[in-house]
Formats: sequence, C-alpha cells, structure tokens
Amino acid sequence: MNLAVGAREIVVERRPLPPLWVRAAAPTFSVFFGLVIGAVIIWAAGQDPVLAYTEMVKKGFLGRLPLIGTLVIATPLILTGLAALVAFRMKIWNIGAEGQLIMGAVASAGMGLWIGDGVGGPVGIVIMLAAGAAAGALWAALAALPRAYFNTDEVISTLMLNFVALNIMNYLIFSSISYWRDAERVTFPSGRGISEILFLPRLSGRLHIGLFIAVAAAAVLWWALRYTRWGFEVQVTGDSPRAARYAGMGVDRKILSVLMVSGALAGLAGGIEVGGVLHSLDPRALSLGVGFAGIVVAALARLSPFGVVPVAVFVASITNAGPGLQSIGVSSEVVLMLEGILFLCIVAGEWFLRNTIRVQPAAGSPAARPA
Amino acid sequence: MPLDRAGAAGAAAQIDRSDGRLGGEAARLTSITKSFYGQAANEDVDFDLRWGEIHALLGENGAGKSTLCSVLAGLYHPDSGEIRLDGEQVELRSPHHALEQGVGMVYQHFRLVERFTVAENLALGHPDTKVLASRKELERQVAELGRRYGLEAAPEAGVWQLSVGEQQRVEILKLLHRGVRILILDEPTAVLTPQEARSLFATMRALADEGRAIIFVSHKLDEVMEVSDRVSVLRDGRMVGSMEIAEADPARLARMMVGRDLAVPDRPRIEAGAPVLSITGLTAAGDRGIEAVRNVDIEVRASQIVGVAGVAGNGQRELAEAIAGLRRIEHGQIFLGGVDITRASPRQRIRLGLGFVPEDRMRTGMAGGLPLPANLALKAYRRPPLSRGPLLSKRAMDDRARRLEHRFDIRGVRWGLPTSLLSGGNIQRAILARELSAGPKVLVAAAPTRGLDVAAIQAIRRLLLEEREAGTAILMISEDLEEIMELSDEIVVLYEGRIMGRLEPGQASPEVLGMLMAGRTVDPA
Repeated sequence: MNLAVGAREIVVERRPLPPLWVRAAAPTFSVFFGLVIGAVIIWAAGQDPVLAYTEMVKKGFLGRLPLIGTLVIATPLILTGLAALVAFRMKIWNIGAEGQLIMGAVASAGMGLWIGDGVGGPVGIVIMLAAGAAAGALWAALAALPRAYFNTDEVISTLMLNFVALNIMNYLIFSSISYWRDAERVTFPSGRGISEILFLPRLSGRLHIGLFIAVAAAAVLWWALRYTRWGFEVQVTGDSPRAARYAGMGVDRKILSVLMVSGALAGLAGGIEVGGVLHSLDPRALSLGVGFAGIVVAALARLSPFGVVPVAVFVASITNAGPGLQSIGVSSEVVLMLEGILFLCIVAGEWFLRNTIRVQPAAGSPAARPA
Repeated sequence: MPLDRAGAAGAAAQIDRSDGRLGGEAARLTSITKSFYGQAANEDVDFDLRWGEIHALLGENGAGKSTLCSVLAGLYHPDSGEIRLDGEQVELRSPHHALEQGVGMVYQHFRLVERFTVAENLALGHPDTKVLASRKELERQVAELGRRYGLEAAPEAGVWQLSVGEQQRVEILKLLHRGVRILILDEPTAVLTPQEARSLFATMRALADEGRAIIFVSHKLDEVMEVSDRVSVLRDGRMVGSMEIAEADPARLARMMVGRDLAVPDRPRIEAGAPVLSITGLTAAGDRGIEAVRNVDIEVRASQIVGVAGVAGNGQRELAEAIAGLRRIEHGQIFLGGVDITRASPRQRIRLGLGFVPEDRMRTGMAGGLPLPANLALKAYRRPPLSRGPLLSKRAMDDRARRLEHRFDIRGVRWGLPTSLLSGGNIQRAILARELSAGPKVLVAAAPTRGLDVAAIQAIRRLLLEEREAGTAILMISEDLEEIMELSDEIVVLYEGRIMGRLEPGQASPEVLGMLMAGRTVDPA
C-alpha cells in the first residue's frame, strides 16, 4: 500500500514475524501505551489518573469480591469469545453471538420453567443448558444454511438476526403475558423465576460453576481444532476454501457445522447466565452486548482458545471496575472511552508486529505495477 | 456541450491534421527495456507505427506484448529507451498523460464503472464535462459517435447490463470520445464471439482509414492475416521482426512466434498399457458461463503421457477442473479405470486414484498459510495412520512429512511456518510429493513447471517421467512447447476449448504446433 505525499510516498510493507518474546511482550506494551493515552483523557476530564488507575486495579482484581465480580462477568465473555473465534478461524464472520446468546437464554429459561422441580440437580441443569446450546445452534443455522448453500452474506444475516432475537425476548417479557413472564408483577414486567434446584452450584459468593464450564469449553475447542479431522478441515477451509474443495472436503457442510458450533457456544453463554446469575429471563441483563464483546475478546486473543480466557477476564475487570471509578468521579463515558482506547492500542500493536512503515522519495511512475 | 470538441466534429478536425501524413510515422519506440523484479519483460525492443495502419503485435503468452503496449499507453515507465510520438520525443508520465497526447489503450480487463450508464462512463473524466451536463444532450452525442464507427451501444443503458462485446465497444467509444489518434487493443478478440470479432474488425478498418493508427495485439494467426497491414512478432521479451502482411505467411509467423527448434529428447520407450482415463464429448462452461471446453475426447493409457498444448485461456484450466470434479460438466463422460466419474464428487475421484496438480498452486494446490505437514496430509488425512476415526495423529502427520521431505528433496522447510514461505519449485515438489505418494492411477498435471527455475523444472520433469514408467496415466497440460515435446507420448492441441489436432511428438514441428495453437487447421499431409 502506497500513499503519495508530495514528492515522498509512505510505503506500508509486511514483515516477517518478529521473535516470540517480542510477540509475547507486545500486548503488554500496547496496554501500557493505551493507559498513557487514557491518563491524558482522565486528566483532561479533571480527574487524577493515578487515583483512577489504582481504583481500576483495586475494584477489578484486588480482594475477594472484586475478583468474584470480574470472574462472573468473564464467564459468558469467554463463551462468546470462543463462539466468535471458531467462526473466524474459518473466516466466517458470525457477528450474531448476541442473538444466539439471547435465544439460548430464552430456551434455557423456558426449559427450566418447564422442568420446574421435576428433574432434580445435575440432570436438570444439564438439560437446561443443553436446551440453550441447541437453541443457539439452531438460531445460527438460520444464517448458516443460506450461507452454505446460496452463499449469502453471513455478516448481514447474523447481524439482523440479533435484532429479531432481541425483540422476541422483549416481546415475551414486556409485551405479552407469556410462559416466561411473571404474571403477578404488572408494573415492572420481569421473567418468572426458575426453580432453585436448577440454579448452577456456587463456588464462592456469586461465583458459580459456569466459569469451569467456560474454561472447559475453551480446552475442548482447542483440542478439537488441533487433534480432530473436523478441526483439520476447519483450518484448511479457513486458510483456502479452494484448497479444501480440491482436497475433497465438503465445504458447505463445514460452514454449517462451524456456525452451529459457534451458535451453540453463544447459546450456552445465555443458558449459563440464566442458570447461574439471573435465574429468570431478564431482558435488561441479557442485552448488554456480551455477544459483541466476544468479537473483541476473540480478536485480542489472536483467535487462540486459551488466549480467550485471560483476555475475557481482563475485559471483564474493566467493566467490573466501572462503578467503582464512577464513585470517585470518573464518568462512565470516560470509562467506556478508556476501554475503547485500550482495545484500539492492542489491535494497533498487532498490526505493527506484522507491518512496517517507511517514507521514501516517490517513484517515477505511480502506477508502475507488473501485469 | 461537452462532447463537441472531441466528438464528431473534433474527431474530424484531428483526422485533417494527420491526413496529410497518412503513412507517416505515428509512434516510434526505440530500445525499450522494462523489467519486473529483475525479470526483463521487454528487452531492447524497437517498434514503429504509421498513421492509417493496423499493426498487429503477435507473440506467445509472456512474450511481452502487453508490457510493450502498456509502455506506449503510459501505464509503465520503461527502465530505458525512447518514445517518439509524431516525431517528437515524449515522456509519458501516466495513462492520463498519454491520453492527452492522443494514445489510448483498451485493456483486457475493462475499466468501466459498472453502475454508470454508457453516456455517463464517456463523460466521466472527460476534460470538457460540465458540472451540470445535460443527460439528453450527452446521450444524443454518444449515439451519434457510436453510429459513425459502427460501435452501437445504447447510451442510456447501464454498463452492468451489457455483454462483454458491448462493454468493449464502450471502451473504444470512450477513447474516441477523448480524441485518441493511436488506439491500442490488447487481445480484443479473446472475449468476443466470431460475429462480434467481425464487426470489431470492420470498426478497426474504418478508424484506420480515417488516418488513426491501431495496434492490434493477438496470438491468433488467422485474425492477424485478415485484418492487419503490418505485423511485428515478439518472443521472450524481444522483437523478432516486423513485416508487411503481404510478405508474411502463417507458417513463417508461427516459426517466429515459437522460435527455438524443438528436439525430441531420448527417453525410455514404454509400451502404453490399457486406457485408464477416458474422456468423451466433454463440454464444460467457463466462469462467465460460456462454454470453455467443447466436445473434447481424450484417452490416456497406463504408462503414457498425453500432453495438452495451447495458448493459455483456451480451456485448459476448465478441462483440468472438470476432470478433478471442481467444475460442473454440461455434457460428455469421464471414466477412470472403467468407472464412470462424470458425476462423482472430488473426494470420490481422489479415492478412485485421481491425482491432480492444479495450475494455481498457492490457493488450490496448497493451503499456503498452514505448515507443510498439514499440506502434505491434505488428501491422506482421512485414513490411518494419519487419523483413526475422527481423531487426527499430529505425530503421524509430522513423520510422514519428514519422509516425503527427504524422498522428494523438498528444501527450505522450516517446521511450523506457513508453506507459502517455500520457493515455487519446492512448493511444486511438495504438491507432487503429496499427489504421487497417494499412488494415483491417473495424474492430471496443469502447468507443472510454470515459473520455476531450470533445476526445479528438470526435477519435476524427471518425476513425471518416473511416474510414467511406474505405470501411471498422465495428462499434462502445458503452454511450454518444449515441455510438451519432451515429455508427451501423444500431443493434443486445444484452441478455444476444442481439440484442433492430435499429433505424435515426431510429427510436431514448431510450425505445425504454432499454427494449431493459433487456430489454423493443418492438413495431415
């Protein structure tokens, strides 16, 4: 890519990957750089950046309660991060994790309500979560089938299905007396609670076993991508669909299966939120953009399943520290800006790992390219 | 009135200027050299063009025709050499600058705005186009210009609605509208039906008769003989010669084009076995939907190499893809070892013993971003020891890769890094390693040595000959005549998707092959 500026031109070139330690250290440097820019903004907004950052670490990590809060927020983020990751590995751009998560929550809550006290303990929980995963997978299939067989654009279809899912959920709670809605509460519409025996077991305080499920999902996905024929086919198809076709791999079916796995992971996130935190279908808590945040998490983790876990925790810690920061006078807008700047710096750092920029005198003929 | 100057009246004015010098020198290129990445595409090329002539530029693929034209059209800046227009030395800084000097080129890939109408495309970028131009007036002028030169295209039609032939007419109209006096057409007939080509020739003649100079790039002898006044032949980036068309004959031009004397090398004579690959009446569509392979019959026996010769773009890629199952077959049948595979999936064909070396190595033949062991396993990964059930054995994949790396002498492998980092020759070795290690009954090899260095070419050819000795039936598609002559037991020539002729290597002289490749039928006598 060349950009002419007067008699000089700016040339962007790809470069070979730097050594491993540089790649490992880069995100740390990027975060530091982002914090410096963030400090200027916090200072410009009239607050003390040092105090703000201390508070951020304190409220995000230090102590039992901040840590638990962070991990609870991280749990669904890990899963939506994995959902984005598995699709992106095949260069299928599923940006519908938000909707798949919502449909998973709807199905899990529905299944939970239907089971009632009927099936106790682990079995009931497994059925409830499976319903969520299945619903997420089916919701993804709505976009995957036309993508696989008619080559429609999955970006548009998955994105649009988010709004459909959101409105279905809102309708069930706010605009109808549905199976999901608590009929007794009229002024503040909310969902009917599932039976206590279906609550996910707790580890400590609000922390529930959903975290283990999410980490286990990361491990299983890592293993499946690496050590199964399915994973091999996903890698080949992602790298070159033509090579996959040439090798006799069913590319259409692979697209379908990958998008459904992606949807199942997002749906599972919805189910875990219902079973572990909300205990009912709660539209306010389920439309905070966890599905979209998963895309950021997957990208920052460089599409590595194990990278998703720490990245999700990091992102969750900033969210978790938000209220604490506001209490010392840093407004929520500044917190959101800080989040955005940090992500941007990390992505930019990734880019600089792979490219260099050079300024040189402009070449004689700007269009000189070989045929 | 944006069209007036360069429109009908303007064109007439310019012709008046050149009329006095009809036959005079329009352009002269002297000692043009242009290299890309150290490879000379044009070397010390001299070329001259006269007003009022159609000058054909003939040559094989990669002979440097397009490069020379692009130099004259201002797209490439030559490394050295001199360009004179109308006797005056010029430096062409850009295509736009060349256009201002009256030189315009119709590229093989059109440069029209698909969403605009014909009239809008003509007005776009024209120096006289007003900010508020009258659409009606514009369209009227475009229609008039079209009628004058037999280049009819509805001015109000959107370009996306037009056929390829019509789009080409719009490209030419656009240049006439800009007032070009030197018109370069880069392989204009490659995308046309015979009828469209005929009407294009009539237009070219009309333009030349007005005093304009036309460069007509082609590799089809018949066309060149039919429409041009003079012809120049390029080979391997050098100018081989120019002559009046009256002095030229097809056999001589073919020899100039192909050049080198092609010797049949000695190689072990092997009795060919039973037919293994039989193709009958094969017809398949190209990417644009028109037939690219037409009614092709080919039979390949065990221990036999059948070479498919032809200029690129005459249906070779489509033929290979149809055999591999990567392209829909419209008519005809393909048998592999007696089994009808016409409707079989690529995977079934692989299982039945079909090996395929595609011409697109980096994206079809390899998943370039993955490491070598994965690429070497691309076809064998479904069976033990590489996999058991759904599980994959990384270690078996690595072991296998090390064995093949050693056996096929694949060099420069860095473990864990993308295969695309290997050199072209080693990538091709790796593809052959994968295809040959599967023990194929039939191997389809497309452009097996294109772009490789001499050592790699020798190694690949040796592998193919060894495979022939081992009893494999090989269909080799190549634009390289030396390769065709050196390796084939039988040669078929493809031209516009049809088989123009079948030869034994002994009968194949450069003239005969050159003429067949350029679409001339040759008497067997």
